Amino acid sequence: MHGGSAVIRIMIVGGGLGGTMVANQLVAKLYPEIVRAKVKVSLLSNSAEHFYKPAFMYVAFNQFFEEELKRSERSLLRPEIDFQVDEVTRFDFPGQTLHTRSGQRHGYDYLVIATGCVPAPERIEGLKEAGDHFYQYEPARQLAQRLGTIKRGRIFITVSFPQTPNVPHQCGIAPVETTLMLDDFLRRRGVRDKVEIVYTYPTTAQLMRNCLFLQRPTGEILPGLFEQRGIHFQRGFTLDKVDPDQRIAYSAEGDAQPFDILMATPPIRAVDVVIASGVSQAQGNEGWLPTHHETLQVYGLENVYVIGDTVDLPVSKAGGACHNQAPVIANNIAGEIRHGSADAIYDGRVQAVAQMGLNAGMPLWYDYTHDVLPTPPNKLAGLLRNGFNRGLYWAVARGML
Amino acid sequence: MDAIPSDGAQAGATPDLAIHEIVQKLQPLLDSGRLDNLIDLLSIASDIVDLLDCAMVEKLATLFEQTTSVSWELGNAVRMAKSQTQALEHPDSLYGLLTLLREPDTRRGVGLILRTLNVIGRQL
Ligand SMILES: Cc1cc2nc3c(=O)[nH]c(=O)nc-3n(C[C@H](O)[C@H](O)[C@H](O)COP(=O)(O)OP(=O)(O)OC[C@H]3O[C@@H](n4cnc5c(N)ncnc54)[C@H](O)[C@@H]3O)c2cc1C
Repeated sequence: MHGGSAVIRIMIVGGGLGGTMVANQLVAKLYPEIVRAKVKVSLLSNSAEHFYKPAFMYVAFNQFFEEELKRSERSLLRPEIDFQVDEVTRFDFPGQTLHTRSGQRHGYDYLVIATGCVPAPERIEGLKEAGDHFYQYEPARQLAQRLGTIKRGRIFITVSFPQTPNVPHQCGIAPVETTLMLDDFLRRRGVRDKVEIVYTYPTTAQLMRNCLFLQRPTGEILPGLFEQRGIHFQRGFTLDKVDPDQRIAYSAEGDAQPFDILMATPPIRAVDVVIASGVSQAQGNEGWLPTHHETLQVYGLENVYVIGDTVDLPVSKAGGACHNQAPVIANNIAGEIRHGSADAIYDGRVQAVAQMGLNAGMPLWYDYTHDVLPTPPNKLAGLLRNGFNRGLYWAVARGML
Repeated sequence: MDAIPSDGAQAGATPDLAIHEIVQKLQPLLDSGRLDNLIDLLSIASDIVDLLDCAMVEKLATLFEQTTSVSWELGNAVRMAKSQTQALEHPDSLYGLLTLLREPDTRRGVGLILRTLNVIGRQL
């Protein structure tokens, strides 16, 4: 609880989905204090633009232009928020200060870290050189060019999990979504009968072993779904290294598989400044922050919260997770300011509409105690997903939905 | 069959039980001759789903974003300006208003309004 007349400074780092939603919701929650200049909400991001990241997946199938998937971050923030484009280069937690690329220092009373994660294909030998992925714009464009011109051959799909136990890769369902989209895409191009698709999954997928998906109920329906479409699948393929010259993917289990296109979900890690902060206990220098699974505070630090892809929680690193985490953080910071305690609880809920092929969708939700219960993909859910991609997302980021 | 609880526990019911439950719920509508309306509504809903395609959804979603973002921006601006004005002990003096007009942000806002009027005029 804060006495006296000093302004309480809430600093948010990262203008992606998590940071934007938290900032907007904090303003709404603490409006009386903001109007009386008792609280100030600031957001620092190293980009003036905000990307709708899931659209990169569609870029790989020529379904989205770059101009359509981004907005200026300022236009997504309420006017009460002090927004600055600057990169945080050092967290001084004991001194409650942030250091930035432009040489500034910002003190804070409450801090929210929302810097997301980045793909790290360089962590697997040969993957950066020979593999493709759709987790950023440029790589997705390159993949689109390859997928748009392949006439015959073998597309091999791999999924790499973080080394940190029970932490998932980004957006758990994305490899399944893109495999099904790929099948439709090649059919539209009229080359599907000459291109083999092989979906693989590693031996260890969070708490699951030798499966096709990180949750049992969904994993169990996948063989049927893949067989219907003539998609081959293989369990127990943990990508270990890639030979770019021979175009062979080697697994840690001792298998070797040739490919013409290697469509990989690469390893991921937190951003440099988070790794360098030394707070993470994650394996492989991955940098996930030790997160209280209910309050979303960072263990061992005072008044510091984390949202989105930087957490070390077992739930999907997804926008659908940020959506449920943002109100918890806003309520907890408001609770600490107003009566000295953080009482809101995150139950692990994540919701989404999965893109099951180019036209169909499947609404899904889960939390810490319930797995996704898969339902038949359908056209209406596909249209809902399209509506989300094209418009609803921006209302969610603005904190309207 | 009467023992089916009505608290949602029928989620795992066998198809026969589920159909029985649905029929029971529909009976009053059937008795009063109003079930036809619902069937018509369902068929309209189904027509809409048939008519909708990705391109139309894209247009509707873009329209949604355009309208919500403008109303959101205006609402936010009015709310913030209102609370700033309410916080003043006395109304702005004439000099204070001129000072406000000199601020680059104010001039940008005035420019936006004048340009909007200009565009509207162009379309008349
Ligand atoms: C291909 C793909 C498909 C996906 N599909 C889905 C889906 O279908 N459904 C779903 O729910 N989620 C999906 N996601 C996941 C979703 O996009 C992320 O989970 C979400 O964006 C995470 O939000 P975040 O705020 O944690 O990080 P981000 O959105 O990545 O934002 C991080 C922000 O921090 C800024 N930043 C980084 N470092 C610094 C620094 N040092 N200083 C200042 N600023 C910094 C960055 O510029 C960025 O703005 C998908 C992601 C990808 C890539």
